[in-house]
Amino acid sequence: MENQVSVNDTAADAARIAENEFSAAVSETAENSVPPKKKKRRINQQKLQDNLWGWAFCLPLLIGTIWFVYAALIMALMLSFTGYRLQDGMLTEYLANLGDHIYQNQGWYTDPVTGQIIELEATLDPFHWYKQIFTQEVLGVGGTSINMNEMGMYLFNTVFYMIGIPIGMILAMFFAVCMSRDIKGGSVFRVLYYVPCVASTISIVFTFKLMFQQEGVINQILGTNIAWLKTFGPETWNHLYRPDNPSPSDFMNNPFWCQGFLSKIVIVIMSVWKGLGGTIILYIAGLSGVNAATKEAAQIDGASGWKIFWKVTMPDLYPVIFYNIVTSVIGGLQIYAEPELFIPNADPMIAGYVALVYKYGIGGSNTSPAAGAAYGLFLAVIIFILTLFQFWLDSRNKD
Amino acid sequence: MNNEIKQNVQSSDEEVHYSSFRYALGALLAFFGFSSKTHHASQKRAKLVGDIFVYIILLFGAFLMIYPFWWMLAGSFAYTADVEVGGNAVLNSMTWWPSLSTGSTTATGVSLFYNYKVMFTQAFVKSEYSNFNENFNYWRALLNNLIYSIVPVVVGVITSASAAFSFAKINWFGRNKVFFFLLAAIMVPGASITSTQYAMYTELNMTNNWSVLVVPGLFGSIMTAFFIRQFLFGLPTSIIEAAKIDGAGYFRIFCSFILPLAMPAIMAQGLLSFMGCWNNYVGSYLFIAQDSEWINMPHAMQVMSNGAYKGNQGPVIAASVMCVLPVLILFACFQKLIIGSLMLTGSKE
Repeated sequence: MENQVSVNDTAADAARIAENEFSAAVSETAENSVPPKKKKRRINQQKLQDNLWGWAFCLPLLIGTIWFVYAALIMALMLSFTGYRLQDGMLTEYLANLGDHIYQNQGWYTDPVTGQIIELEATLDPFHWYKQIFTQEVLGVGGTSINMNEMGMYLFNTVFYMIGIPIGMILAMFFAVCMSRDIKGGSVFRVLYYVPCVASTISIVFTFKLMFQQEGVINQILGTNIAWLKTFGPETWNHLYRPDNPSPSDFMNNPFWCQGFLSKIVIVIMSVWKGLGGTIILYIAGLSGVNAATKEAAQIDGASGWKIFWKVTMPDLYPVIFYNIVTSVIGGLQIYAEPELFIPNADPMIAGYVALVYKYGIGGSNTSPAAGAAYGLFLAVIIFILTLFQFWLDSRNKD
Repeated sequence: MNNEIKQNVQSSDEEVHYSSFRYALGALLAFFGFSSKTHHASQKRAKLVGDIFVYIILLFGAFLMIYPFWWMLAGSFAYTADVEVGGNAVLNSMTWWPSLSTGSTTATGVSLFYNYKVMFTQAFVKSEYSNFNENFNYWRALLNNLIYSIVPVVVGVITSASAAFSFAKINWFGRNKVFFFLLAAIMVPGASITSTQYAMYTELNMTNNWSVLVVPGLFGSIMTAFFIRQFLFGLPTSIIEAAKIDGAGYFRIFCSFILPLAMPAIMAQGLLSFMGCWNNYVGSYLFIAQDSEWINMPHAMQVMSNGAYKGNQGPVIAASVMCVLPVLILFACFQKLIIGSLMLTGSKE
């Protein structure tokens, strides 16, 4: 009992002492009246802390981005002027003395008299890979005597796959409008439609490949007998192919335009099917932001549902649609895995442009990352110009 | 004057007699919610009919979305190893239910889970036609996939969240400049620098082993940081002020306030990047040789499908099911969080 009292007493004393000290300190500062210096120092401390921790917290991401994106981009730019191959050793060392490693064109010719191979003096050719992009040809397309520009073929395939973008957008808009109706279970549909987006591409490709066989499920359901996935052989060239009149100048006798056409259609179907859910969710989010009051006012004024959709909903949705177009075009130009998985080793017939980048840059033992860098930068330029073009169209629309 | 005309119009309207056919048609249309000159349909009926119409469309769409998965599941039970029937031909006659009958007298020991058994024991093992590593098997592929999709995602989401915290809640010199410097990196298309990255990784001895699919992810992703930053803007700064007054440092604030409070955003972004890493076929295909023991599941499936199981796709579909299943289960558990986050951030994946 006594103890407790004494404890209480000491605690009270301590508190009193602390209070006294505090008030003394306060009065001291007030009396001395030199707070500016002290205050300034304290703020600096705080600022220092802010700066220190701010940088520290974003440092990992910053280092990662500089290392894996910016450094790689600058190196790619430097590499694209060289003839670097993986067996040439360290990349950084190689690039450190870039001047010695500019691509050299080693010309040679066979002497018509002696039959010896005579090497010409090597000439610097920094733009070798860039020239190759435009001049490289695929000889004997599909076993015919037709030669075609390689980049053009791959790029055509990429652009062909991009017809899925408007189809997907229209379908997604349709379903999104249906789902944003005031019905029960709308969120269940949202989830169901998003399922293909999370599934792995490879599983879906394997399934679609089996479903689209000539005797497969899809043909049975449709009651047709279409060879969807055959890339080679004249029987799949399509009905416009005329074997009785095989002239290489004939557009439809060029197997590139006909072979694999149906496979490309299947890939478009698959990518639309796979990407639909994401776009739907994007549009539903946009639709929920459409001004309900304007809609109601239009309804009262007697506008039809169709008219309300075009005159009220669409203008409000415009930013979402624009964002979707930009991201879809950027993503669509980089299509790679789907065609490659659908029909392996059918490269120029169905593969997209990125397959060309990897073919020169990463495939096999005889690869040249330098070529891959040049081809990749060309793609980056295409994407950049297309994106700028879209933003230009957008700004023109707004005026 | 005007009134008169109106009255005239009205009276002339009343005088019109519709034929009994048109009258019946109007009644029928009104029953289905469409107003006509003869009958006025109620708003309620119109909505009901519209709802039914929408339901039919949405159900049909949902069927199209789900059917390939059902077919995948059914196909994984089909016995495709039969040469007499023609291997994959069994799958052709299958629309709804797995064709379980072997149709052959030579097949022995065939059970419902035959494909799964083959897949677990034989399919991912080095053979004459499949160029796998000697140490490779299904469980190794699964382990690799788990490593590749858990380690970089967990660490990467935390580093992204820390960057997001620094951008959203700390005032430091050059913050906005650094942020736009990072955002600009998104515009660089991945495919255009991949071959240079390949050379870099080769120089660092990162190709053909685990590090190429783990190390880049540890540094976090810009988009993840961006979305978490958007989320953190919604949190009141007064929490941080209060914690600061109570004497907590920034590290303490991050660990005990920001991480728990931003958990919904962090979880959603983490789950989405988990799914992305789980399905990352291209990364493994480009940077890891197919005879390495470090290839991930999709890459192994591709090797197996083009190798010994080209004419016997049953185990391939079984592997597809096993590859899709974990992601689907995760999605089913966290669908509200994921869809909510997608709606909030306005991103597609």
